[in-house]
Amino acid sequence: MVNLDKENKILETIKTTFNVEGRVIRKNRVEINAKKDIVSSILLFAKNQQGYIHLNHIACVDWLEKGKFELSYIIWSPTDKITIFVKTLIDREKAEMENIDNIWDQANTYEREFREMYGIQFPGLVGDFEFILEDWDEMPPMRRDFDTNAYAEKTFYQRPGREDAKDVREELTKQSGEVIPDFAKKYSRE
Amino acid sequence: MTSNNNDKQTIVEYIKNWSRKHSLFVMAYGTGCGAIEIPATMTSRYDAERFGIRGAATPRQADVLLITGYLATKTLKRVIRVYEQMQDPKYVIAFGSCTINGGMYYDSYNTINALDRYIPVDVYINGCMPRPEAVISGFVQLQKQIAEGNADNGTKYKENLEWYRTNQTKIIKNWRMPDYNW
Repeated sequence: MVNLDKENKILETIKTTFNVEGRVIRKNRVEINAKKDIVSSILLFAKNQQGYIHLNHIACVDWLEKGKFELSYIIWSPTDKITIFVKTLIDREKAEMENIDNIWDQANTYEREFREMYGIQFPGLVGDFEFILEDWDEMPPMRRDFDTNAYAEKTFYQRPGREDAKDVREELTKQSGEVIPDFAKKYSRE
Repeated sequence: MTSNNNDKQTIVEYIKNWSRKHSLFVMAYGTGCGAIEIPATMTSRYDAERFGIRGAATPRQADVLLITGYLATKTLKRVIRVYEQMQDPKYVIAFGSCTINGGMYYDSYNTINALDRYIPVDVYINGCMPRPEAVISGFVQLQKQIAEGNADNGTKYKENLEWYRTNQTKIIKNWRMPDYNW
């Protein structure tokens, strides 16, 4: 039997302090779902009082159907060896999130990337607007409603010869009997 | 490009082309993933130096520019600068299917699809990735073109500069590049 005392303890501490939802995913993995206003307080609390001093990563997922961006702040404690995912949903329209680079300096890099690739604004964020892209004047390219195929066709010269390219997934699913899920069908070439 | 100038060459041109084809200095500049095949081509197993192919440190010393694999729009700007700094005679070898038609990045927003729209290409090597044998075969093809006196894409670039610039500025919208007086 896996002992999850450590995980439950930190989860309970954060849950009772901030009145948020959360769960223990498995050993050494804790997930917390919070509103966007209190994310920075949770991170600061975890960093200063619970020893979660290391920011592993900040990840962004575009939930186009829900109209939301999901930001995951992934932090780690060298004493507990637990990774906490602090997740929050923000609106896709006029996406805005609190700037946390005063808690961790390296968050600045992630936030600049999100500003450029997803169009999320971080008020007070210092840094050049141009980060990975150069001379970009379209919609932020990592948003899922950005049609990269249409953009490539419009911008780059297409050499003829690709017209007879087939969607090999259909052949493969015929062989294995697997079904292509609906959400994946829109990426089909037909 | 004419088919064969071999008979029309003077003895001076013949010697000039013969010596050029046996000392191809390759610009040490890797774009994309294909650059990983170059160490294998250069080192003892395939030993490209027996064909006179070796590395050069700067664009002004180099004869051949290898475009190894996919070319991001950001890298294209640097490639154009490198190409324009190279002295005549200069040759371009495009490497891998990404330079031919985009390869697996054909629908990507930040990689170009056909290299010969932006700089003139002498030899295309297909494959993803081409093995060192294919790379050497491409170089031998280039040597053949040089010996026949057909590889003069440096002049072709100068003559058609306007057409190339139109295509280049379509990608590089904010054109802040030096002008060379070659």
